[in-house]
Amino acid sequence: MSYMIITGLLCGALLGFVMQRGRFCLTGGFRDMYIAKNNRMFYALLIAIAVQSVGVFLLIDLGVFEYSAGSLPILSVIIGSFIFGIGIILAGGCATGTWYRAGEGLIGSWIALAGYMLMSTMMKSGVFAPFNQQAQASAVFPTNSIAETFGINHWVIILPFVAIVGFIVYKQLTKPKVVVPSLKPKRTGLAHILFEKRWHPFVTATLVGIIALIAWPLSAATGRVFGLGITTPSANILQYLTTGDQGNLNWGVFLVLGIFAGSFIAAKASKEFRFRMPDVKTGINSFIGGNLMGVGASLAGGCSIGNGLVMTAMMTWQGWIGLVFMILGTWTASYFVFVRPRQKAKAAKLKEQVTPA
Amino acid sequence: MQKTLEVKGMVCPFPLIEAQNEIEEMNSGDVLVVEFDCTQGTESIPSWAAEAGHTVTNFEQLDEASWTISIQKK
Repeated sequence: MSYMIITGLLCGALLGFVMQRGRFCLTGGFRDMYIAKNNRMFYALLIAIAVQSVGVFLLIDLGVFEYSAGSLPILSVIIGSFIFGIGIILAGGCATGTWYRAGEGLIGSWIALAGYMLMSTMMKSGVFAPFNQQAQASAVFPTNSIAETFGINHWVIILPFVAIVGFIVYKQLTKPKVVVPSLKPKRTGLAHILFEKRWHPFVTATLVGIIALIAWPLSAATGRVFGLGITTPSANILQYLTTGDQGNLNWGVFLVLGIFAGSFIAAKASKEFRFRMPDVKTGINSFIGGNLMGVGASLAGGCSIGNGLVMTAMMTWQGWIGLVFMILGTWTASYFVFVRPRQKAKAAKLKEQVTPA
Repeated sequence: MQKTLEVKGMVCPFPLIEAQNEIEEMNSGDVLVVEFDCTQGTESIPSWAAEAGHTVTNFEQLDEASWTISIQKK
């Protein structure tokens, strides 16, 4: 038990710290692919996937633990990921993002988190559990592992993927550099690097990939053979709090609590912590978004971390199909939340200029 | 001309979107001062300004989770 608490909290705290300081926001990254035509954060995600993938499959080949990806409930993965994508735009952050923003003192993220935890619990063990189980049982393919489907060794997929990511990173880093203005430094040495300096997204991504890798053996040692995961542990917290059943406590629970703590430490030390109350509209959007995240992630069997970062690294259909539909969901919601209001405002202005008063 | 945009309390990406809308209305050489408290804005706003070719004349942290950035339109 104490091993589980310590390693879970530590791994989560590291992740929360790195994500907060590196501004590792997948929601923003997916959104910016569409509204800003900027793929930098998506490339960063690919780096984190590649680092984790190579490491985890080496550990599996060395016999540290065994992993089977199981079957693929394709319909619920597609629909769930799409709903999740819409939810994270409304909530202003993905599941992990919401946990770490809650640690920065954003009350809007607390609201989103409440909706997310409640709805995941309702989907996993509450009134919607039968519906969720039915959805999971319809349209199921027997194999989830991409390598297994084609009957090839997993390295035949991982190595070309790593080569592609390497090529993208090389292209990005050799592009003519735009100097991004930075804050006036007020600290020096390690304090400057840890609590003030801007972290390059690719450096942050590499660190996230390493933490995602370490999570596997740490978690497997407690009998939970998986890496980073947010949704099930978030539901487990509420299940434990409301039933008092200790069976709901697992490595993942301490991981997500660690994310919150790590982000708080990073924000506090960087003078970025402050309780911030959203306006009514943002508050309502956060709550709706949180609920959609809970429904979506439960159906899809993972959030942007569970499916988008971990199941992708495991080279599963669930991970990659989930990632694609999650991104499509964020683009759909971005159109209605950001793009259309802007177009409307522009059109109204144009009309004003054309029509003589 | 200098204009101040107060977007405290707004979460990302709204501070950035407001700044982009505002600068579109301004003339070359004008300065837009954005005051924001969304942490992720410390990455997104200067990155956008630099990539769009505007000049950042000032960028500093004022207080706990509170920043100001001055952008001169190109």
